[in-house]
Amino acid sequence: MCEVETKPLVDSVESLTKEAEILKKKLDAERVKLNDVTLFDSTERAETMAYMSIKPRRTLKGHQAKVLCSDWSPDKRHIVSSSQDGKMIIWDAFTTNKEHAVTMPTTWVMACAYAPSGNLVACGGLDNKVTVYPLTMEEDVTVKKKTVGTHASYMSCCLFPNSDQQILTGSGDSTCALWDVESGQLLQSFHGHSADVMSIDLAPSETGNTFVSGSCDKMVLIWDMRSGQCVQSFEGHDSDVNAVKFHPSGDAVGTGSDDATCRLFDLRADREIGMYGRGNLIFGINSVDFSVSGRLLFAGYNDYTVNTWDILKNNRVSLLYGHENRVSCVQVSPDGTALSTGSWDCTIRVWA
Amino acid sequence: MEGLVRKMQDTENGGIMVRSQKIFLSSIPAAFMGYDIIEWLTYTFRTFDNDFPPAEAVHLANMICSYGYFFPVDSKNLTVKDDGTFFRFQSPYYWPWQKRPPDNVEYAIYLAKRTLRNKQRHQLEDYELEAYNNLKKNLANKWEFITMQAEEQVKLLKTEKKVDKIIADSQERAYWRVHRPPPGMVTSLEHCPVPSRSWNGQRMRKKTVEDCRREVDLLRRSLTRTRIKTSQAIESLIQYYDTYVEYDVLMSQTSQTSQSTHPTNPWVTDDVSFWLLNAPLVEVTTEKRIRKWALSMEDLVSDPTGLQEFTTYLRKEYSHENIRFWSAVNELRRSAQSQISIRVQLIFEEFLAPGAPCEINIDGKTMEKVHQEMRNPSRFTFDAAQEHVYTLLLKKDCYPRFIRSDHYKSLLANAIQQQISQKKRFFGFGQMKKKTSTSNAPSQNLLQQQASQGGCVAAVSAIAKRRGSDRSLSGSAHELAVSGVKDPKVPHSHSQSNLSDIPYRGDLANLPKGVPVAAVAPSPVKKPNMAVVAGASTSEDVCPWEAVPEPRSRRNSGQSESSSSDVSVAVAEITERLQRTNILTQQHTVDGSHQLVVHAAEMPRRASVSVPIAHGVDQVARRKVSSFEDNRSSARSTPPSVFIIPGDLDNKTQENICKTLRKSHSIAKTCSVTGTNAPIISVSSVADESTDDDARSTQERIDEIEDEPGARRVSSP
Repeated sequence: MCEVETKPLVDSVESLTKEAEILKKKLDAERVKLNDVTLFDSTERAETMAYMSIKPRRTLKGHQAKVLCSDWSPDKRHIVSSSQDGKMIIWDAFTTNKEHAVTMPTTWVMACAYAPSGNLVACGGLDNKVTVYPLTMEEDVTVKKKTVGTHASYMSCCLFPNSDQQILTGSGDSTCALWDVESGQLLQSFHGHSADVMSIDLAPSETGNTFVSGSCDKMVLIWDMRSGQCVQSFEGHDSDVNAVKFHPSGDAVGTGSDDATCRLFDLRADREIGMYGRGNLIFGINSVDFSVSGRLLFAGYNDYTVNTWDILKNNRVSLLYGHENRVSCVQVSPDGTALSTGSWDCTIRVWA
Repeated sequence: MEGLVRKMQDTENGGIMVRSQKIFLSSIPAAFMGYDIIEWLTYTFRTFDNDFPPAEAVHLANMICSYGYFFPVDSKNLTVKDDGTFFRFQSPYYWPWQKRPPDNVEYAIYLAKRTLRNKQRHQLEDYELEAYNNLKKNLANKWEFITMQAEEQVKLLKTEKKVDKIIADSQERAYWRVHRPPPGMVTSLEHCPVPSRSWNGQRMRKKTVEDCRREVDLLRRSLTRTRIKTSQAIESLIQYYDTYVEYDVLMSQTSQTSQSTHPTNPWVTDDVSFWLLNAPLVEVTTEKRIRKWALSMEDLVSDPTGLQEFTTYLRKEYSHENIRFWSAVNELRRSAQSQISIRVQLIFEEFLAPGAPCEINIDGKTMEKVHQEMRNPSRFTFDAAQEHVYTLLLKKDCYPRFIRSDHYKSLLANAIQQQISQKKRFFGFGQMKKKTSTSNAPSQNLLQQQASQGGCVAAVSAIAKRRGSDRSLSGSAHELAVSGVKDPKVPHSHSQSNLSDIPYRGDLANLPKGVPVAAVAPSPVKKPNMAVVAGASTSEDVCPWEAVPEPRSRRNSGQSESSSSDVSVAVAEITERLQRTNILTQQHTVDGSHQLVVHAAEMPRRASVSVPIAHGVDQVARRKVSSFEDNRSSARSTPPSVFIIPGDLDNKTQENICKTLRKSHSIAKTCSVTGTNAPIISVSSVADESTDDDARSTQERIDEIEDEPGARRVSSP
């Protein structure tokens, strides 16, 4: 330890990499010390769940190409979705009507998000930009569109961090960035990943200043939005981390990866506490989300299905067939009443 | 993709290949049947998963097939059925991800090769022909090379054995069927055009020195991080689930024991009342939602209605500057960059500057920090102060008080019952709770245990647990003690002892006096009915609780008056109806005249009641005033109607009576202002001219003079 710290910081990749290796080993040793039980020993007393009965309730048809991303409105019934052909559609999912359809000047709109007020949506994709559209009934929404930020590579994910005035984005240039909507100013950028950032999620707290990001470098990082620093990191996945989601308690993070497993990392225990996968599930996961109580983890797979995991028992409690191509996004509605899934088969389905 | 590839190949190498390749059919070489795959998959995965249904095996087989790892011999569709159709494995050379997606030259060679061979067996299909012609046009400069290659390959083929030829042919054809599918067919091999994802392997960005240094820093920092045991972490997840499972609609649908809850999931029943009741800001809240506020401070403040009720309550206690500061800082953090400096200044002037109108009480150290930060204003300037206010003042002091307050209890009592079947019980429970708050503690214990079964117990114990976990962030024994006990009754009593142990008991006893007194207050309009209620509640206080076994029936049989609860139900209904009209009228009136109106309306009533009841009237008056302040101060952001607080039942009836009186006395009101009671008039006149805060503080002063001075002044320590 002493040796490591007294060593002057030589500006060479090799020495630093070596140092990182040493530190990593120590860290692993530290983590093992407190690993007293496995998840499934200690959850025995929790009652087992019956196989879930969850059925398709709505099918939203209208996209002409693969649906790549969707987001629930805070009013719990509208959905914004974006697709490969550059269309963004605002749905009233309850009536399955389309309320707006916007054509973007790009294809592969990989991210879209509703603002907390429900009056704004943001989207972006291969154009490397995040664009904001105010939703008004009177005129064409494209009139008031506004480009907020530009990345050096495609934008893979975006969200509004509890505010209409800011947007947090993750990009293929391996960074995340926080933008001011009004001025388009870059408020903070987050460096630390060594490959494309695929997914981000905000901590579920009113005053939350942290968010999590998952990347193609197989890492899951926790960030402080104020300082722009990475405060915690988790390794474990064998492949790209495609999806990250905070547990509703804010103490854990669920992830989904191309290695066909979902994992649960606990922030306070500082380690992986659960892994959800089966030998027969060999396809990657594109998206995950928790139910309101944090017990169910919904995961959208590349094999066209959605599997639901009981994270406490490590049981699969349901398997949703229906989509005819890859499931690209899953999201539980804000009040937990329904689950939306978007797929490459051009449809969005709402399950309840 | 990388990991997926590896997995696929593992499966192939370790499994199906080895086993299935044994199956040879004499007529069709190197083939196997559909049910072989299904059987094999089912057999293999049964060990992993007890419920591996055949449907899933078929699905999996289809998926693998669509990626071209094996293919049907006769059919052109890449689908697998659980029958005797023949399949053949693709040669590893043609596996996807073995190499990059094929280019058009290869395709052209393949097509050219087919044209060169036997017309009958190798004839191109329409779409292939089209592609062939297109390629011929596009690759004109390379065409010579392509035809040469094709001829070469055909020549080579002729030297091979017939069986091998058939197999190789079919494999090649299947390969192209996967990679160049006929139009209209879905292919699994589509790639994201995302730069780094389309080529596998070494795509990691080269690490720079800066990256490494950052990584080392992070690792060093995380070495000193405090960790909790895994068991603790898991325990907290289980607890979280236990607490919130009743709010998880998807979960409760699953459980067999779920009662027919009302309102139902709108997605299932097309009934949107669930959303109406759970809208961000509502006048009348559901009982379930109010109970959620008791789970944690976060649950309360994240619900706009909850935050509003909390603010109203604190305003009544004259300690709402903390929550207002907290909200203001939240707003600051979320505001646009251009407004930051202005907002910082405004917040400082209102809450932190010496002698500020709404000065918050923070310690010197935090203050110093704020002053430092003020030099360089940012959206995080007040974070330290906010944290201080939140954890020390709001969470540890105001929040527990709010949850135990009569304000909260009355909200609970007036709430809409979500479960119809439990309606009556909950109603009775709320009523009793309110009344027992003035009686002694042991009887309260007993009563609650009798009255609250099922949901109530769950709620209370959940509260206990949640509180426990809040307190023991450092992992104390308290949490374990609570959660370790499984018997539902024990945690319940635990929480009770929790309640009676609180240090604020003195305050509590003093504070809520207004409510029970208000309950006794008779009114000119409804005098006979109200008298029944009043009589009931007073005599009930005298009546020994312990002697009566069944709380609900006692209410009806114990009293000589026929049905006091019926009356109160009726009153509640009227209240609701009246309230709606009230809101309408309130929206159309101007603030200033409003306050006059209210006080004016009280005058006749005050005249008609005897001295001790004046207290109750004051309560109403103050409530009114404060709600109007609310109206004004936040009129910018929210519709005014929502600030009408569904308060205590009896208070509400009084309010309503006020309103009805106001209508009838609308002409007389101006003169009655100059009537009897001096302090109240002075309040209303001051309120007309001055700002909100002034009005409030004046009111505050008067109240102190009028009621027990000092006892109400529960400001922050």
